[in-house]
Amino acid sequence: MTRDLDTATAAPQAPAPARRTGWRRITMIAAVAGPGLVAANAGNDAAGIATYASAGSQFTYGTLFFMVLVTVALVMVQEMAVRLGAYTGKGLGALIREQFSLRLTALAVFCLLLANTGLVVSEFAGIGAAFELLGIPKWAVIPPAAVLLWALVLFGSYHWAERIFLIMSLAFFAYPVAMILGHPDWGAVGHHLVVPHMEPNKAFILLAVALIGTTVSPYMQFYAAAGVVDRGAKPADYPLIRADAILGAVFACVISLTIIIATASAIGGTGPLDSAAQAAEALKPVAGRNAELLFALGLLGASALAGAVVPLSASYAIGEAAGVERSVSRSFRDAPLFLGLFTAQIVLGAVVAMTPVDVIQLLIGTQVLQGLISPIVLVYLLVLTNRRSVLGPAANGPRYRIAATAVVVGVAAMSTILLVQTVLGWFGLG
Amino acid sequence: MSTSARLRDRRVNLERRATASRAVRTSLVSLAGLIGGPATNQSGDEVGRVVDVVARLYGTDSYPPVTGLILRIGRRHTFLPAHAVGKVHAGHVRLRTARVDLRDFVRRPGEVLLAKDVLDHQLVDVDGVQVTRAADLYLAPLVDQVVLVGVDVSLPTLLRRLGPRRWQARPTPERVLDWQAVAPFAEQATEGPAEVRLRASRTALHRLRPADLADILEDLGRAERQQLLGWLEPEQAADALEEMEPAELQNLLREAQPEHAARLVDEMEPDEATDALRDLTREEREALLTRMPKGEAAELRRLLTHREGTAGGAMTTLLITARPDETVAEVRGRLAEQHEHRTEIDAVAVVDGADRVLCDIPLFDVAVAEDTTPISDLVTWRAQFGPPDTVGADTSLAEAADQLVAARASSLLVVDDSDRPLGRILADDLLDAMLPERGRLHFRRFLQ
Repeated sequence: MTRDLDTATAAPQAPAPARRTGWRRITMIAAVAGPGLVAANAGNDAAGIATYASAGSQFTYGTLFFMVLVTVALVMVQEMAVRLGAYTGKGLGALIREQFSLRLTALAVFCLLLANTGLVVSEFAGIGAAFELLGIPKWAVIPPAAVLLWALVLFGSYHWAERIFLIMSLAFFAYPVAMILGHPDWGAVGHHLVVPHMEPNKAFILLAVALIGTTVSPYMQFYAAAGVVDRGAKPADYPLIRADAILGAVFACVISLTIIIATASAIGGTGPLDSAAQAAEALKPVAGRNAELLFALGLLGASALAGAVVPLSASYAIGEAAGVERSVSRSFRDAPLFLGLFTAQIVLGAVVAMTPVDVIQLLIGTQVLQGLISPIVLVYLLVLTNRRSVLGPAANGPRYRIAATAVVVGVAAMSTILLVQTVLGWFGLG
Repeated sequence: MSTSARLRDRRVNLERRATASRAVRTSLVSLAGLIGGPATNQSGDEVGRVVDVVARLYGTDSYPPVTGLILRIGRRHTFLPAHAVGKVHAGHVRLRTARVDLRDFVRRPGEVLLAKDVLDHQLVDVDGVQVTRAADLYLAPLVDQVVLVGVDVSLPTLLRRLGPRRWQARPTPERVLDWQAVAPFAEQATEGPAEVRLRASRTALHRLRPADLADILEDLGRAERQQLLGWLEPEQAADALEEMEPAELQNLLREAQPEHAARLVDEMEPDEATDALRDLTREEREALLTRMPKGEAAELRRLLTHREGTAGGAMTTLLITARPDETVAEVRGRLAEQHEHRTEIDAVAVVDGADRVLCDIPLFDVAVAEDTTPISDLVTWRAQFGPPDTVGADTSLAEAADQLVAARASSLLVVDDSDRPLGRILADDLLDAMLPERGRLHFRRFLQ
């Protein structure tokens, strides 16, 4: 990574000249943005778009205030993650192993793996949906895409592919433009941004948890902390890192809000989203008849980008916690755990994505899973940042502690309500 | 040998191995199984629970002796010295005394808490050349003391520890590293007297090659990394740093104490040091340069003026020069003095009275020439192959590479406008510069 934190501003940077070692793979994105920005914006992947678009189509502007709350949660959570990375110089996986009992470590690792596999499923579903928009059936696309991604990461020069994916996913920056061109009811938007609005029905709660899951997904904290550690950021650089994390989170959520508003003004109130083609409607003001093409492009780029990064980051965190060799340069015999996990996630993700269920429902379902798991990971994060033995003077102060606990409790409460509702639903009491 | 005999041999062997492994298993005590286990007095009543085991990692002994236990008695944590411990069994401890002195535990220099500081923390496996985490530690009860003999690093052991308590006490020595072949990082392990620190630095670590050390440094956490660097001799550390990925090296120098970092950069070869400094910000660079000896700092500053991607930016300033009137033996003597820089020298530059380059003589020619031969003879002999191959300091690396290939040499002299030698650009530096994705499959820190 060529960006010096000392001279960095939190604003996106112009790419620095290539180094003699070339750029490491994931460095690419980070060359344009700081780790906080990257981590938070990884949330705007296929599943994220589907969830936000669904929020807009189902409840028009009804979820906006809730998104504002989620933004606050995301800011705090990402800040805690990068603080841990900057002050300890260790990834979250390693910290959890060193600070908690082995059983609790195993629980955290299991949750992360589960959440991430869900994410990988949604990425492949996104790839499939993108090609279906172009008229190619998903069963013909997903298996080769899975093999291709797997091989690219393990044997290929992934960073070229990454650049292409990244440029493709820029298509989603059409949403803010679409929002303005779509002439939403600005009064209603403003009203919903500041006035709390909750609907006590199951659909709303389900979507709310999916919004949490897609915005505050567990892997992001691991990703953000690792990104900070890998830059060798010191406590002295922390103010900049914090600014980067906060701005990144806010920026990501602003994009999410524009997606909700744009979709709401285009197809709001038409009930649940039922296809990717419908979600592409929102881009009509920008691209007219090419809206579907633009949407497919963005979906494909974002999904492929995350489809490689997400399983890799989980394998990395788990390898770190288990303390095993973790580098793709080793053969399977040398790093069976790391490569096995990586391969298993891709295979499982692709297989589940092939199941003939409704793509949008699958995408939102995986985000609900993330939302259910994220409070568990947040508790770890909270306990770690509260510990003076870990962070010394940078540990949470009393006020911050109360606020962070409130966030975690809030997220956990939403997940619990959803769980209870689901269980009651099985018994026909919902 | 008949098949049945071979089968019988194999069975005997297997049985022997099984017996041996059983014997090992019964004689080892798993630390993970011991923690939380009961401590009983002579009559078998439970006195308290084992919280941790204290050992002195770097003493004079080859295996660290256990110096005591920390027990939880009621709500207090107390220290019990080793002589009060009767026998350590799998999963429980039998005490020798009925009376326990309720003193609070105070760390003595060089002592570590095995469960808190070593178990689940990073350590360097010197034989396997990797950084790993201790999944379990094995203690061996000897006649008069208990010693720490090995570290378990296998995944099945982690699974065993996840299981019920009954499993935990059962050692599973699948992949155990001998304690002699690991370097643990418990922060308190090397506090205390100088000989303790010295012993730590004399661990198996000096068996590692620079490239291996570089790999290990890249895998370690921040605190551990600095600790390891502190243990190494500066020369050895500098050799390892030269092998590190630039981004990792940059992080390492940023997080080290400036004095220490300056010392390390000073020990590095000038071309590598320049590369390392180039990656830092101006303030960081200055912080290191001002702490270096004046001469070296000035030289590095001069090298830093060359742009990256030019011959001047990648050259080493280490030059062996000779005059035509010297003999081969004198030059060989000078080469012998430079043996620590042998990777940077592959030719001798011959200069005239005005320091202009006359010729660049490869080491092979110097090696096969007679002792008494004057250098001028070699110059004359080389002259038939045309003028010496030199490049200007601002030649691009791609051009330099073309020239190197054309000259079929392994290095080129870098000269200034008046043909005076400035330095030498080596083939490996050119390769470094030309191969963008070095280690195409290298995915160490992909999360950057």
